[in-house]
Amino acid sequence: MKSKKTLLIRIIAIAVLIAIAATMFVIGRGHTVYFDNKDLEADGTEYKSYYQIEVFVDDVSVAKLKSGERGMVSTMGQDFKMVLHITPEKDAKKVGSAVTLKLPYNLDGIILNLPALLGGAPEEVYQEEFIPAPVIEDESEDVIVTDEFEMPMGDE
Amino acid sequence: MSKNTGTKTMQKGKVGAFLRRGSVPLMFIVICAFCIPMAGLSPSYLINEIVTRMGRNAFLILSLLIPIMAGMGLNFGMTLGAMAGEIGLILVSDWQIVGIPGMVLAMIISVPISILLGLFCGKILNMAKGREMITSYIISYFINGVYQLVVLYLMGSIIPIKHTSIKLPRGYGIRNTVSLLDMRQKLDNLIPLTIGGVKIPVMTFIIIGLLCLVIIWFRRTKLGQDMRAVGQDMDVARDAGINVERTRILSIIISTVLAGIGMVIYLQNMGNIATYSSHSQIGMFCIAALLVGGASVDKASIGNVFLGVILFHLMFIVAPRAGAAITGDSMIGEYFRVFVSYAVITVALVMYETNKRKAKSMESEQLKQAQLEEESK
Amino acid sequence: MNDKENTKKEKGWFGKLVASFGLPRLIITLFLILLLVLAPFVGADLPTQISNIIARFSWNGVLVLAMVPMVHSGCGLNFGLPLGIISGLLGATLSIEFGFTGPLSFVMAILIATPFALVLGTVYGWLLNKIKGGEMMIATYVGFSSVSLMCMMWLILPYKSPNMVWGLSGKGLRTTISLEGYYNEVLANILRIRIGNLDIPVGTLLFFAVLALAIWAFLHTKTGTAMTAVGSNPTFARAAGINVNKMRLLSVVMSTWLAAVGILVYEQGFGFVQLYMAPFYMALPAVSAILIGGATVNKATIMNVIIGTILFQGIVTMTPTVMNNMIHMDMSEVIRIIVSNGMILYALTRKTEVAK
Repeated sequence: MKSKKTLLIRIIAIAVLIAIAATMFVIGRGHTVYFDNKDLEADGTEYKSYYQIEVFVDDVSVAKLKSGERGMVSTMGQDFKMVLHITPEKDAKKVGSAVTLKLPYNLDGIILNLPALLGGAPEEVYQEEFIPAPVIEDESEDVIVTDEFEMPMGDE
Repeated sequence: MSKNTGTKTMQKGKVGAFLRRGSVPLMFIVICAFCIPMAGLSPSYLINEIVTRMGRNAFLILSLLIPIMAGMGLNFGMTLGAMAGEIGLILVSDWQIVGIPGMVLAMIISVPISILLGLFCGKILNMAKGREMITSYIISYFINGVYQLVVLYLMGSIIPIKHTSIKLPRGYGIRNTVSLLDMRQKLDNLIPLTIGGVKIPVMTFIIIGLLCLVIIWFRRTKLGQDMRAVGQDMDVARDAGINVERTRILSIIISTVLAGIGMVIYLQNMGNIATYSSHSQIGMFCIAALLVGGASVDKASIGNVFLGVILFHLMFIVAPRAGAAITGDSMIGEYFRVFVSYAVITVALVMYETNKRKAKSMESEQLKQAQLEEESK
Repeated sequence: MNDKENTKKEKGWFGKLVASFGLPRLIITLFLILLLVLAPFVGADLPTQISNIIARFSWNGVLVLAMVPMVHSGCGLNFGLPLGIISGLLGATLSIEFGFTGPLSFVMAILIATPFALVLGTVYGWLLNKIKGGEMMIATYVGFSSVSLMCMMWLILPYKSPNMVWGLSGKGLRTTISLEGYYNEVLANILRIRIGNLDIPVGTLLFFAVLALAIWAFLHTKTGTAMTAVGSNPTFARAAGINVNKMRLLSVVMSTWLAAVGILVYEQGFGFVQLYMAPFYMALPAVSAILIGGATVNKATIMNVIIGTILFQGIVTMTPTVMNNMIHMDMSEVIRIIVSNGMILYALTRKTEVAK
C-alpha cells in the first residue's frame, strides 16, 4: 500500500518535471530578430523603405534604423511584440505602430523586412531566415584532453 | 596509545576543541587583515565582489553539507553534479533555450544525470567504507574521463549538436568555451537591487535561502535523522533497523543533484562554460571555502558556509594583489592562494584524523579501565 | 563480485585465470596484446613502438617502485609522491646551480636530493603515523600543498645559473629546464643497444634493476620482514615486539627517497626538468601503474611494479598511434584517464583489512 503511494508520488513528480521542461522548451526558445529597413520587391509589389524607424521592444529602444540599415534584438518565446516609431520622410511626423507576430519555432535568426511587414505583405515575403555567414576557421582549435584536474591557476 | 586520561584532559579538550574549531577562520581573518591594505582595493569593490561570489558559490557549497551529516566526509564527488549541470547547459544552449527557462531546463536535464552519477558514486563508496574521501576523489577523476569522452567525442557525432558556435570545427566535440550570453546573470538580475553601489543578486539569494531552509527542515525528517545516526555509528544505526547502505547512497545522490543545480547557478553568473575545466576547480574551491568557514570533516553548519565564502574569497581576491605589492611578482600571490587552499584542506584532514584517533584511543582506554575495575571487584 | 572470485567453487580454466590474474588486469593485458598485433597493420613500426615502451618503462620504473615500501608497511598507496619528487627537483636544480655537468651532475643531483628526501620523508612519515587509517587522502593533499608551496619557492629562491632562470628578469626558475650538457640520457647511453629501429637503454634498465633488487633484498632482511608484518597485521607485529611507528617511518622515508631518485631517472630520459605544477600529476600514473601490475592497497611486489609499468606505459604509448591510424580519432588520452583511474577505483573498493 505504502509503496504504491510512493510510486504514485514519484510518477506525479516526474510528470510535473517533464511538464515544466516542456513548458520551458516553448517559452524559453530564444530567437535573434533582425529588422531591415530596406527596399523590397516581391510579386510585383514594391515596398519602399522609410526615412527612419525606431524599434522598441519591452519599452526599450533597440534600434534606430535609417533607410537601408539593419538592427537586431534577442528575444525569448514565440510571441514577439514591438512598437515601431516610423518617420516616413525627413522632417515628417512620427507615426507609432504596434506589431505583434508569431515567430517560427525552428528558426534561430529571423530577418523581418519592416517596410514589407508594414505594407501588409504576406509572411513569406517579409520573413526570411537569417543564415550566419560561414566562418572560415582553421582547425587549430583543438581541445587538449588531460586529467590535469585541479589546475589551480587563474581567477575562477 | 595516548597517555592522556581522566577528566583533566576532557576539560582541556573542550577549550582546545573550541580553539581548533575557530583557528582556521581566525587565521584567515589575520591573513585578510594583513593583505587587504596591501592590495589597495576599494572597499566598495571588495564588497561587490564578495556579494557576487556569495551568490555564485553558496549553493554549491551547501551541497556538501548532507554527506558530511551522513558521516561520509567531504564529498569530492560533487564535481559529478557539476559535470551533469554543464551537460544540461551545453544541450540547452544548443537548443537555444535562453534566459530563466533555459536555466530551469538545464537543471531539469541535470537531475537525472546527477541521480545516476550519484547512485554510481554512492554504490562505490559503500564498497570502500572507511576511505570514502580518497575514493570519491578518484571517482571525480574517473567520471571526468567519462565526461570528456561524452563531450569531446559523442556530442556532435551521436548526441546531436546543431550549432557550429559550440561545436568544434572538426564536426564533433564541444568547444573549449561555450557562451551563455543569453543566460548571463539573468537570475541575478531578475529582481534588480543596488544598495550603496553594491549590486545584490536578490533572486539568487532567495534561492540560496530556500535551500538553507530545506536543509534545516531535512535534518528533522526521518531520513535526516537516519543520516545523522549513520554518521555517528554505522553499526548502531544498523542495529536500530536503519538501512545504512541506502541512506548513504541517498545522501550522495542528494548532494550530487544539488551540486548540479548549483553549477547552473554558478555558470549563469559567469556567463560562459569552460567546457573542460569549469568543474575541475569547483570541488577544491568549495571544500576549501567550507573548511575555512570553520567546518570540519565530520561537522559543518550553514553558518560555516557563509563565513567560509566571505573569508576564502576575500583571501582569493586580495592575495594576488598583495603578493604583487610585496614581491613585485603577481605570480607569487597566485601561487600563494593556491597553496593556502590546499594547506587548509590538508590541515583540516589531519585534524580530523588525529581527533578520530584520539577519540578511539580514549574509548579503548576507558574500556580497559572499566575492565580493570571489573576484575578488581 | 570479489567474494564470488574468492570462493573455491568449481570453475573452468578461464575462471581460474581470472581469479588469479584479476579481471581488469586480464582485460588490460589483452588490450595491449591486441594493440601490438594491430600496430603493424595500421602502419606503425613495431620495433619503434617497442623501443618507446621500453624507454618509457625505464623512465618511470623507479617512480612506480617508490610505491612499494609504503604499501608494505600498510601506509597505503603513496599519493604523496610529489613530496619525494620535490626533493629530487631540489637535487637536480642545486646540482646544476653548483655548476656540475655531465654524468657527475646526475650523481650530485642524487646526493643533494638525498638529505632533502630524508628530512621531508621523516616529517611526512611522522605525520602519517599521527593519522593512521587516513593516509591516502592526507598524502594526496600533503603532495598538493608541498607542490604549490614549492611553486612560490622556485620563484623566490636565489637561483643564479643562466641556464635555469628566466632570461628576461634574471630571477625565478623556468618551467622547463633543458638537461642538454647535464645529465640528459646519461644512464640510457651506458651499454646502449641500437639495432635498426630498436633502441634499448640498457643502462637505465640496469639502474632500475639494481634498485629493484635492493628493495627485494631489503624486504627479505629482518627489518624488511618486520615491515611487511606491520603492514599485514599491525596488532600481531606490535605483539611480536616490532616498533610499528618506526617501521612505518622507515618505509615512508624509503618511498620518498625512491621518488626523488625516480624523478631524476625520469628527467635523464625525458631530457628536461619540469618545475612548478608538473609534479602535481605524477602520483596518479605511478599509483595506477602498480595497481595494474596486480598490487592491492596493502600488497605489492617487485613483479607488480615491472608488469604494471610495462602494461601502463604500453597502453599509453600504443593507443595514440594505433587509434590515430585506425579511426583518425585520438581518444587515447580519454582512454588512459578512464583506465588508470578506473584501476585505482577497483583497487580501493577491494575488500581489504584497513590497517588500524
